[in-house]
Amino acid sequence: MWTLQELDRPKLQLLALSSVGIGLTYFLVWRRKAKKSIPLGDGWWGHGQQTLRDDNKIYPFKVETSEDEINDLHRRIDQMRYTEPLEDCGFQYGFNSNYLQKVVSYWRNQFDWKKQVAKLNEYPHFKTNIEGLDVHFVHVRAPHRPGQKVLPLMLVHGWPGSFFEFYKILPLLTDTKDDLAFEVICPSIPGYGFSEAPHKQGFCSLDAARIFLKLMERLGFNKFYLQGGDWGSLITTNMAQMKPQCVSGLHLNMLAVTKRGVGMLLSLIIGPYLPFLVGFTREDVRRLFPYFEKNVYDLLMESGYMHIQGTKPDTAGCGLNDSPVGLAAYILEKFSTWTDRKNRDLEDGDLEKKYSLDDLLTNVMIYWTTRSIIPSMRFYKENFKTNPQNRVDARTGIFVPMGHAAFPNELMHCPLPWARWRFKDIRSYSYMPRGGHFAAFEEPRLLAEDFVKFVRKVEGKKR
Amino acid sequence: MLLEVLLALVLGAVVLLVLRRSKAAVLKTEDGWWGAGSPPAGAEDESIRPFQVETSREEIEDLQRRIDQTRPVPSLEDSQFNYGFNSTYLQKVAAYWRNEFDWSKQVDKLNQYPHFKTKIEGIDVHYVHVKPKNLPEGRTAVPLIMVHGWPGSFYEFYGILPLLTEPANADDVAFEVICPSIPGYGFSEAPRKKGFNSVCAARVFLKLMRRLGFGRFYAQGGDWGWQITTNMAQLDPTAVKGLHINFAPVENVGPLLILSILLGRRFPGLFGFTELDVKRLYPRVEKMLVEPLKETGYFHIQATKPDTAGRGLNDSPVGLAAYILEKFSTWTDHEFRNLEDGGLERKFSLEDLLTNVMIYWTTGSITSSMRFYKENFAKGFYPPHARIPVTVPTGVAAFPNELMHTPKLWAKQKNHKLKTYTTMARGGHFAAMEEPGLMAQDIQKFIKVVEGKK
Repeated sequence: MWTLQELDRPKLQLLALSSVGIGLTYFLVWRRKAKKSIPLGDGWWGHGQQTLRDDNKIYPFKVETSEDEINDLHRRIDQMRYTEPLEDCGFQYGFNSNYLQKVVSYWRNQFDWKKQVAKLNEYPHFKTNIEGLDVHFVHVRAPHRPGQKVLPLMLVHGWPGSFFEFYKILPLLTDTKDDLAFEVICPSIPGYGFSEAPHKQGFCSLDAARIFLKLMERLGFNKFYLQGGDWGSLITTNMAQMKPQCVSGLHLNMLAVTKRGVGMLLSLIIGPYLPFLVGFTREDVRRLFPYFEKNVYDLLMESGYMHIQGTKPDTAGCGLNDSPVGLAAYILEKFSTWTDRKNRDLEDGDLEKKYSLDDLLTNVMIYWTTRSIIPSMRFYKENFKTNPQNRVDARTGIFVPMGHAAFPNELMHCPLPWARWRFKDIRSYSYMPRGGHFAAFEEPRLLAEDFVKFVRKVEGKKR
Repeated sequence: MLLEVLLALVLGAVVLLVLRRSKAAVLKTEDGWWGAGSPPAGAEDESIRPFQVETSREEIEDLQRRIDQTRPVPSLEDSQFNYGFNSTYLQKVAAYWRNEFDWSKQVDKLNQYPHFKTKIEGIDVHYVHVKPKNLPEGRTAVPLIMVHGWPGSFYEFYGILPLLTEPANADDVAFEVICPSIPGYGFSEAPRKKGFNSVCAARVFLKLMRRLGFGRFYAQGGDWGWQITTNMAQLDPTAVKGLHINFAPVENVGPLLILSILLGRRFPGLFGFTELDVKRLYPRVEKMLVEPLKETGYFHIQATKPDTAGRGLNDSPVGLAAYILEKFSTWTDHEFRNLEDGGLERKFSLEDLLTNVMIYWTTGSITSSMRFYKENFAKGFYPPHARIPVTVPTGVAAFPNELMHTPKLWAKQKNHKLKTYTTMARGGHFAAMEEPGLMAQDIQKFIKVVEGKK
């Protein structure tokens, strides 16, 4: 058996060169074979057997309420059985019971659901049947101004949000005074809000993506932009992977980091000391480290909901569907903690610093009146059934133009070098000055500005 | 080459084992006070007050009204119990609860044994105290404390109590049993301050036994009861004559454990692995990673956001029942996840199951019961007591469907005086409630070994 020490210099050089040569050839050949899209697949999610009749019509829809609905809500709020919180615990044990009573009192006595329903109906709503499910969406057209280019855009929400999160950003995108405006579609993910919940098992982000692509096709859009955060980020990414030829650009405010082994480990070890060596900026270092505390410990602290929803959604959501107060606590805890982790130490979770109770409770009412908390939770289980890192979309890159708005208080920070592992055409990457997970809801102007900046870059390169 | 490596590893493990055993530390603890505000001046009221479980028409009508207001959501087609409690079966349980379950009758059943409350460290601690009725001449009852877990209660022991206090065999030991409720559970007051963990509960229960005049006693527990009784044995080894547990998860991963996991399948004899051990532990990834992940969602959310997790359950009795009874299904046998009715009524009666749920419902204690998870993992998975062994005589009853299976070798790492280790014929996590006869038999076997040695 020969060893490296026995080889002389020329033989060593030959060995090194041929290794590089083989490696390069393999890399190029492999690269050419790398898939640029993922299969569409198909599905049917209605009751029982699939019907032959295919209803492609689009029906206008209005959000409605009734005295019965409001009285029932009030009755249940009155029946709340208070539990004393521990002394000095802030929001560390979850939603603080003392502050919850204030929120609930507002909800019972001042919140006007009829007024909020009217607000929801300010934009036109529609429903259409796709793959056996009634899919709900809001369709906002731009008032055509002379000399204005109008581009189609779909905004996809996440959990525990809804299409309502986009109501503040909608006017900023559709009703602009300059040369660029957008025609916006805001759907509800099947199982959320006014979209029918799947009756069969297995409905994951790939299915939602395919359904939304069919929706855009049915509405007559051949090429469009996509924007999303939370589940919306994954769904829009899947859409761009399924039909890259239809997606002009993909803008995300949250990026899930898929582990890439050695590369990631190296950047974590070297990053804090020699950031430039691994492509990190000072801001990256500030947001990522101390890594264990910010990313592992904090993630463990905050992912209990994900763990139970990813395994026992029917159990987790059962009580929340009878108790509006329980539902509000569960959902609003996220609006507090995911906006800024420091809110965990405050008695009121600083909930009303960035949001109004009217807006927060309107979002909760969408889950309450449609009884969609359980189906919304099932989405977690369906997506984690197969190991998410082995699924076809995790092993495939994204080749459409992409833009990322990195908000400082987002749950996970993804530096540009890591984003590049999967997104092969990143046109803009911005460190946002402030804001957390619910970017469109909390900082609509900042998000709109960054999105438009991204679109201009993409449109500019096209000409 | 491989043999040498193996031998070196084994030798190293043995050396480490010997070294570890020689430094058996003692668990230390400080006093605590858990009431509202600051402790009052003067001595604590140590009186023991008799307690009766009570109910009222209002309580029952309120419950029925809430059950009527349930908004069911249909389960996905063919999902059985894989997504959690099946909606169709839940409606059947709710209908029984609404129309047939007799809470007044169950309250009478609860009161058949004497209940008491006493204030310890600022909170009222509830317990049931059962003495044998017919004790033969010259015999004394052996004192025993039995501690429940989550989502159980003292009521889980009602089936085994007669078997322990009035044993059928003349040569079996007759016990005098204390069944307390963990503070924050059922009729025991919930702590108002942060930090009430299993060591605090152990200290409180040691004070309880002392207050009742028991200088030396046996302890039995599963689930949190295992943790608390183990801590009791670590805090005061002289007081705990013997420790019987039906749950013994590994807290400390040492080299011998790792070695046994790696080689146990190929060389089970080397580690004393039985057929059940191999069946429960392998394939490794599925049994030690995937299965626990599937079943620990509740643990994760309760250990981080208990107040949020419990909030809705305290308003919705059907939600509470689904949350609790899902465990009575899945933790009795994992295969029950594939049954439309979760196999719930195969081993338990709806009457007993709902009585346990009513204890959480009528006392509004679901949230405080969940906080116990957060308090115990506040300092991570490796608190001081996890590193300290148990030096009192211990007996382990290994039930085949228990959540986490512990082979004898692993149990020995923690319990240095393991006297009995029994592979039980059948049964799951809620052993005392599901198989009271088998459990009583094993407790008798363990006691005889410990007492016989004297």
